Amino acid sequence: MPKTPSLLTEKHDLQKVKVPHSQESYKSDKALVYLVGEAPMVEQYAELCIAHGYDVCASWNKSLAKKQNTLSSGIIISSTVPENTSVAIELTNIDVLTKKKNLEKLAKALPETAPILSSSITITATEQSAWIAGKHRLVGIAALPTFIDKSLVEVAPTIYTPMETLEVVSRFFLTLGKEIEIVQDRIGMVLPRILCQVINEAAFAITEDIVAPDDIDKALTLGMHFPLGPIEWAEQIGLDQVYAVLTALHTDLQEERYRIAPILKQMALTGVWWKQSTTHSI
Amino acid sequence: MLKHLGIVGAGTMGTGIAQLAALSKIDVQLYDVNETILRRSIERIKADLRKMINLGKLPHEEFTAALERIRTRTSLPDLGHCDCIIESVIEDIRVKKDLFKHLDANTKSTAVLASTTSSLSITSIAALTRNPERVIGLHFFHPVNNAVLVEVVKGYKTNTETLDRAIEWVKLLGKDPIIVKDTPGFIASRISLPMFSEALRLLGENVAYAEQIDNIVKKVGGFSAGPFETLDQMGIDSALAETESLYDQSYGEPRLRPHPILKQMVESGLLGKKSAKGFFNYEEMK
Repeated sequence: MPKTPSLLTEKHDLQKVKVPHSQESYKSDKALVYLVGEAPMVEQYAELCIAHGYDVCASWNKSLAKKQNTLSSGIIISSTVPENTSVAIELTNIDVLTKKKNLEKLAKALPETAPILSSSITITATEQSAWIAGKHRLVGIAALPTFIDKSLVEVAPTIYTPMETLEVVSRFFLTLGKEIEIVQDRIGMVLPRILCQVINEAAFAITEDIVAPDDIDKALTLGMHFPLGPIEWAEQIGLDQVYAVLTALHTDLQEERYRIAPILKQMALTGVWWKQSTTHSI
Repeated sequence: MLKHLGIVGAGTMGTGIAQLAALSKIDVQLYDVNETILRRSIERIKADLRKMINLGKLPHEEFTAALERIRTRTSLPDLGHCDCIIESVIEDIRVKKDLFKHLDANTKSTAVLASTTSSLSITSIAALTRNPERVIGLHFFHPVNNAVLVEVVKGYKTNTETLDRAIEWVKLLGKDPIIVKDTPGFIASRISLPMFSEALRLLGENVAYAEQIDNIVKKVGGFSAGPFETLDQMGIDSALAETESLYDQSYGEPRLRPHPILKQMVESGLLGKKSAKGFFNYEEMK
């Protein structure tokens, strides 16, 4: 298993988690994955799980009327957590109160043998585990729109997570074609923290009128070999998500360097997207 | 009409620009204080052109024609007739300031005076000249021949005429210009800085190991190289010098603050690939 974090050097003396012991057993049983949280992450994970042979039941924090027709037919939409759920994934980054309610509901409805994966980039998994009974089930993951189809997922165990749960989580992601990288349970984890800070710096540059906004992505992709420019990334991830990560980093680390560019805050809160705005007078 | 280009400094950047200009059918006066460096520069250009011919990217007859367009010089006044002079000497503000003072006094008044600096202020470089309005930054990216972008950096006093002519030069060289204000790190270096500074902070806070961070950045972010691989490649000492320069120029902006890990590594002789050890070990590659 990967080397960090140091808290996981020994197995915890907690109740063993009874879950399938191989990736085949997930598939042959048509195991059920329950997803709840924010769009578009719920539908992105739902499609991924369905494509890899899982039964999927999904629920959104806000109604998804427009997109329901575009979901694969096997995806069941229900706010009731099925008792036979094998793995639950909570995908809320912005509205922490709703996230708490979702996790409380999952913890009550699910057997203690079902792992709960929860996005932990705006609030640490350890803090989340304080909300629920059966804390050994909870593991943090880095979930942001656009990250979900990648071949790797960042995983953050809490101080209560036993190795058994991590092993199960590792096997689960393997069945989705993903390897895991275990990192410490900190706000922003690795890539969300790096990328959101890059986007924040781009927002400061726009504020200071250093360059035409359209040239920022060009500078980063052609000059620094970035796969995408920060503006394109902000659009794909969603400025509200980026703002949520930056706010959490600033609150958690209490440092001036994590101050959010005012223009980014305004755009995130008003829902005015970057490219649309740049056609005006930024 | 833009015809004569002067280049001061025949290192990697100066050589690359000279080659590019010669292939763009521009007459080049390539200056360096050291004749050996000039000879090496021409040899490098010859080797590169031969490679291009072998790959079918350059007609054979262009080899001699391109080389004939480059004249090597060891006397700065020989660049006096040039329409544009591009400087690519050591990244030392005192050296550049003195050079631009000299160029300003010894070149024709309509010539564009450009610096290829990646981290120093164009306004500072122009400070000792009598005509700072004709001083501008042309930040080429590595490798010069393949990177399509050039940051055209407007100093505080750079005028529109200089800017327009600099853009024309960049286009003549087959590059895509973007106009940037003279601020620490210009645009590409500044915005990409958090990629490295946050990676160093994550490492310093023990959130993950360097190889894990690189792995995540590559596999989830889609980058071809992770931040630590890139730092090792560029040289830890160069990275430290650049970030210290940006931090100083910004009068201590916290977002641009260098990380102590870089300094400790430099002081321990861990400079990246060039010292066979940096964030990763390259001793087997020796």
